[in-house]
Amino acid sequence: MSYKIGIDVGGTFTDLYLWSPDGELQSHKTLSTPKDPSVGVLTGIEQLGETKGLSLAQFAPQLGTIVHGTTVTTNATLTRGGAKTGLLTTRGVRDALEMRRGVREEQYNNRFTNVEPLVPRALRCGIGGRLDSTGAEIEALSEREVLEALEFFKAEGVEAIAICFMNSFANPAHEAAAAELVRKQMPDAYLSVSSQLLPTVRFYNRISTTVLNAYVGPILENYLSSLTGRLADAGFDGVLHVMQSNGGVAPPEVARERPATTLLSGPAGGPGAAVACSRPLDYNSAIVVDMGGTSFDASLVQDGEAAMYNESDIERLRIALPMLAITTIGAGGGSIGWIDDGGLLRMGPESAGALPGPACYGRGGTRPACTDANVVLGYLDPAFFAGGKMELDAEAATTAVLEHVGKPLDMDAEAAAAGMYRMINANMAHGVREITVKRGLDPREFPMVVAGGAGSLHACMIARELDMPTLIVPQTASILCAAGMLYSDLRHDFVRSYVTRLGSIDRARLDGLIGEMLKEGEGQLKAEGVAADRIERQVFFDLRYMKQYHEVTVSVPPGTATPDSLDAACTAFHAEHDRLYGYELQKEGTELELINVRVRVTGVTDKPSPPKFPEGQADASGALKGSRRAFLPESDCFGDIAVYDGHKLRPGNLFSGPALIERIDTTILVSESYAAEVDIHGSYVLRQKGGQQ
Amino acid sequence: MSPVSNVKIDKILVSIIGRALKAFTDEMSLCMEKTTRSPILCEAKDFVTGLYDAEGRMLEQTENLPILSFSLSPVCEHIAKKFAGNIFPGDVFFHNDVFSLGNQNNDVAAFKPIFHGEILVGWAAAKGHMADIGGNVRGGYNPNATEVWQEALRIPAVKVVERGVLREDVWDLIFANVRLDIVQEDMRAEIGACTVGERLLNGLIDKYGLDVFEAHKLALFEASRKMMLAEIRSIPNGTYSGEGMVYFDGKHPGSEFTIRVKITVEDEEVLFDYSDTDAQTKGFVNGTYTSSASATLLTFLQMVNPDIPHNHGMTEPIRMIIPEGTLLNAAYPAATTFGNHLCPPNADAIIRALAPVIPERVTAGWNNLLCSLSSGEDPRKGDAYVDILFMGLKGGSGAMCDCDGYDHIGMIDASGGLLDQDYEMFEQQTPHTLIEHEYLTDSAGAGEFRGGLGVRTLYKVGSDDTQIVTFGDGDVEGAFGLFGGGDGGLNLIELRQP
Repeated sequence: MSYKIGIDVGGTFTDLYLWSPDGELQSHKTLSTPKDPSVGVLTGIEQLGETKGLSLAQFAPQLGTIVHGTTVTTNATLTRGGAKTGLLTTRGVRDALEMRRGVREEQYNNRFTNVEPLVPRALRCGIGGRLDSTGAEIEALSEREVLEALEFFKAEGVEAIAICFMNSFANPAHEAAAAELVRKQMPDAYLSVSSQLLPTVRFYNRISTTVLNAYVGPILENYLSSLTGRLADAGFDGVLHVMQSNGGVAPPEVARERPATTLLSGPAGGPGAAVACSRPLDYNSAIVVDMGGTSFDASLVQDGEAAMYNESDIERLRIALPMLAITTIGAGGGSIGWIDDGGLLRMGPESAGALPGPACYGRGGTRPACTDANVVLGYLDPAFFAGGKMELDAEAATTAVLEHVGKPLDMDAEAAAAGMYRMINANMAHGVREITVKRGLDPREFPMVVAGGAGSLHACMIARELDMPTLIVPQTASILCAAGMLYSDLRHDFVRSYVTRLGSIDRARLDGLIGEMLKEGEGQLKAEGVAADRIERQVFFDLRYMKQYHEVTVSVPPGTATPDSLDAACTAFHAEHDRLYGYELQKEGTELELINVRVRVTGVTDKPSPPKFPEGQADASGALKGSRRAFLPESDCFGDIAVYDGHKLRPGNLFSGPALIERIDTTILVSESYAAEVDIHGSYVLRQKGGQQ
Repeated sequence: MSPVSNVKIDKILVSIIGRALKAFTDEMSLCMEKTTRSPILCEAKDFVTGLYDAEGRMLEQTENLPILSFSLSPVCEHIAKKFAGNIFPGDVFFHNDVFSLGNQNNDVAAFKPIFHGEILVGWAAAKGHMADIGGNVRGGYNPNATEVWQEALRIPAVKVVERGVLREDVWDLIFANVRLDIVQEDMRAEIGACTVGERLLNGLIDKYGLDVFEAHKLALFEASRKMMLAEIRSIPNGTYSGEGMVYFDGKHPGSEFTIRVKITVEDEEVLFDYSDTDAQTKGFVNGTYTSSASATLLTFLQMVNPDIPHNHGMTEPIRMIIPEGTLLNAAYPAATTFGNHLCPPNADAIIRALAPVIPERVTAGWNNLLCSLSSGEDPRKGDAYVDILFMGLKGGSGAMCDCDGYDHIGMIDASGGLLDQDYEMFEQQTPHTLIEHEYLTDSAGAGEFRGGLGVRTLYKVGSDDTQIVTFGDGDVEGAFGLFGGGDGGLNLIELRQP
């Protein structure tokens, strides 16, 4: 038995979560090193070793597994810092990438501009050769034109190449031939081929995803080389896993092939951790909220699985790989409060960021941020922020709130701060609502798992707005994603398009597609050292009613496409369609159409059991630090609030809101209508008083 | 209505209610997007959802295609008056009639009154472009029409559900006059969206109380009105004139018509006066009052702060005179199906009038719509297909004084809300083969800041019995440049025989 570490590299902090051979679990935070994030990773590991009295050279060889979440690909996309990429596509459609189907997201804003394409037009080369919609060749591939384009790419210093031809989902031959030429002519270029990455119908989805994959390929490759190099130098010879956007992990070799699957690598750990901390409370579903400095993310766990989207957008660029379903809104501790021309208060989306930061940071910020409001409201103790490591300037916070929100609204600083607090809570509540409503779910049936340092002051009021009876703030709230990485399995997703009416489906062809994907997936897992009895298989069909435009993905029992499993898929489709959209057409006998077949293979890993603490008394007075004047959000007035030391609270402790629980890494507000209890794993569980639970 | 004067306004609650109303109409819109069947609705999002107060004043709207958005409030007011004393919880009304404030025959709306206990507190409405609404030709675009009955079934405000019970006779009467069954499904989807809106608004009123809601609603109107007043105040007082040209009424080759607008800005009010616009045509190239008013509003809204919450207060300071009998407000019983597409020349007139006054806020001209629709039998499936070539009909927006136009987002009344079909889905769903769809080099007006580019779309027709219908403009006059910038290129549709 050896150590296992989850490491989540964020913009400001690198979070680590260590599972020791004796079962002990330990959180750690260290500053990130954005220039080369692997430096911070090694520092974090070294610091964790020190807590065990081990030097890096002693500690590293004892690490069995490192699970790593990284934002290098996300950042490269956001800052346009990816590789210089060339695109080979079918002659006549090279602009599809930039057009994005001709959308302008802000209809009334004539200064709103299109996103800069990841490949400029000059490097998008149309190549002769054409397949029809069934994959039959209409015109042979022009190898001469491919070679000419590659000469041009060489001269331009292109580092990565994406290949995406029309209808290649039905026949990969042209793309394979072009890829062969690339490998010969430009062996050092990173290569991304659409029929390998995403062999599904819908050209724009495929070309955008393939280009994104190429664009971040060299970035991930460089980063992983640097990281594995440093780890090897330190003496690490265990297994490194990279967190993927689908909530599973993969070895670096697989991540290198499909770098676009790491675009949500960071947040993807959240749902796994949420399952781990809500299961002991008999929940198998949860809404995970994570409020950071600039943004608020909401994601969803349903029946023990993170909810996924098969298509999402990153910075208005389409990516059609299975990714964690996540709603992000511009609400964070740094969100600025301001008054619009109509005299109404707004919060965000502009953020004070880390620099200058909220006014109370004393780094030159003068405009009021959400954190400033929380200081004015008495929620944050200026002397105990981050456990006393950073002193907050309460006067600066009050001045900022008063000048920019209070005076224009004719309110004092406290009333203005209360307004900012209510407004940002309303914004976040609508974000949570959106992710459930889009899936036809009722938020009241879910517990809310709170992650991130800033969220715990707001979570109660978001939950109250949505009538959610239960909140769980785990001990690991501030490093939840790193913790989640230790609860993740090896996971690989595959998809093939097969467009057909279900009535005239060719079973042998369907079986063949599913078998081919299962074989590839199982082979991959075996190569990763997964025993056969730890492999799980799932098959999904993307179905729709004839002539509809949107598909619904339904899962079918594993195994091949027997008549039974097809029937089961149809039944599941009607039910899911009804749940999502309020009607189904089974009785009408409307025919179904298959678009894609998906396979997911999972290699189940060993997971830590959450730490258990001895159960104590209900009486929490041992942890009571005192009380202070703070805002009572439900009563809309100031009053005395009991303040508990979160580190001294023991399982079984039970107390009623209003109360504040202070920890080094977060402060939790228990509002008037909630009561807090510490569960056996140390999670703070907040329940609506007089509720069913 | 309960007195609201004694309610103390909580300024923060005004913001919170405004934010909630926006989320509600968005949720109604999502409901429409996911439950409708016609691609015009679920793919192109040619619909709008909204909430209104008891008097029909707009609380909030989600305007996917703005051109049909600003007739809901007037029709709501019309229904509230027409059925006064005869409106009950659980009622649903349908309406499309262009001679009682509808904007286009095919844009059929559902309205549902919202009761809080016994009191009528508001209306939920959804309106979308239906795939068919009767008349002489499938789909409604009939260039030969000279009167409304050749275009569509008229639905003046009619109650289809009373106290939650479907009036089957009325329902059957309507849908016996409509060709396609999916229209019934899509109208049910509209009722569904209204029910969602009803539930959400009632939840909000339950939470805060009716008096508080009513008082804060008025404060919300006032905030939007203030924002709009600030925008209008920033335009110098005066009267400004502009013209936009309409070519060919569908019947008389070479015919030309002029839209003339006089815009008077006086302190905090703006008046759009179309009295000098040419008389209505004898064909279907005619506007209706609300399609023209929507065109005016959506053009003006692009010249002001895009953050103003869309409610009654926003539109209050904006006045219009669109005399009956003109091209923009044809008198009964004229044909008017093309009316929505008079938005581009109307926008041209407004932009030309205001360009010299607020040069930093206007765009140059936008590319106009030229549309083609193909239908026939797909020989691969032995099944009928219909395709509107969305990807081929969208040119670029006009440039501004400090930024280029946006490429390939369509005419101003779509403004980027109408998506291209995916190329491979196009080849799955039609027998055609796409040969080219790329930006058309130099199609935009040149200048320090260029216009948005148009596209060149080439496809090989794959059926034997193909019928191709074309309509639209931009083939005589291209998008105009401003301040020395060049004009955009002309629209062209060409059929080549092999």
